[in-house]
Amino acid sequence: MNKNVAEIIDALAAHEDHTSIEVLEELGTNSPDNEVREYTSRALVRKNVHDSLAIVIINQGKGINDLSPSVAMSTINEILSLKDKSEVIKILDDTINMHSDENVKENARSVKSLLALS
Amino acid sequence: MDINKVELSLGQKIANPFKTTRKSDTNPFEYKNFEGNTLQFADVFEGFNSKEVNFKGNKLKMISSSVMGSLTKLHNSITEPIVNFVNRIRTGITHAWDYAAHTNITDVAGIRNIKDGILGIKDYGKNITDYLSGIGSKISDKMSFLNKDVTEIGHDLSDKWTSLISGINTSKIPSGLTVAEYKALWIKENELLASQLPAKEIALNPSQVAKEITLTNTTKEMVA
Repeated sequence: MNKNVAEIIDALAAHEDHTSIEVLEELGTNSPDNEVREYTSRALVRKNVHDSLAIVIINQGKGINDLSPSVAMSTINEILSLKDKSEVIKILDDTINMHSDENVKENARSVKSLLALS
Repeated sequence: MDINKVELSLGQKIANPFKTTRKSDTNPFEYKNFEGNTLQFADVFEGFNSKEVNFKGNKLKMISSSVMGSLTKLHNSITEPIVNFVNRIRTGITHAWDYAAHTNITDVAGIRNIKDGILGIKDYGKNITDYLSGIGSKISDKMSFLNKDVTEIGHDLSDKWTSLISGINTSKIPSGLTVAEYKALWIKENELLASQLPAKEIALNPSQVAKEITLTNTTKEMVA
């Protein structure tokens, strides 16, 4: 992955402006580059706010639902390493109970099981 | 058929069939000749009374014995006094210096070929060729010019290196920008990367590129 892109993602991840999440979603999670998607997903998880976590949990093809196993596993790993897991558990519960897509619900259920075991 | 009698006549001496030919001086603990390369089986550290066999210890002692024997042999093989050796080396260096000081640069083996070879080089070779064109001067006279030329090349390379480093430094993403500025930078980086993607790579690995394009389209469809 390009070093400059990684630095931009890091800068946006640390940015306090809420619109940084939108930029990360638009340019990062939609990137054709697996490494960029992986790095962006982890950055969104590290932000640990509702909007950033929702992107990597409830969206098809992003975060834990990414078609690339490396991206999905990295995102799950980043979720498991969060210190404060209250927000992510809340989103996982909502996804399991209310999401329309069965695959997304199944993935959320798996991540929640892993969280319970960790 | 008669059977030969096996008997000894009085006074007849025959060899004792049970007597071995092993000499007593093969006893390893009596082997005291230090002139050889190795001192076989000699326990040089614990004396000759040790009867305990220790495989690892024996191996170490064998190596040590070999070193001791080698040192003894080396001592015997030095026939030239160290003073003579130093003088010989010093003489060789003096000869080399005299050769450098009194030999035309064009007489040095290989210089003519180098000169011919660098005639076609426009940049650095041209300067060196110009200096070499002053044939007749000694190497010691030419050294200052060569030094100057080398210094110029060094400065040029240094400038190029500095510009390269500064280019790398300026490519670092600055901190404290707004989100919109970061977004613009990211888009610019993506465009730059897309332009740098060699056509050769696509030609060599079309399946991977096609896979990535498909993946991108899939992702966009999911977003839509």
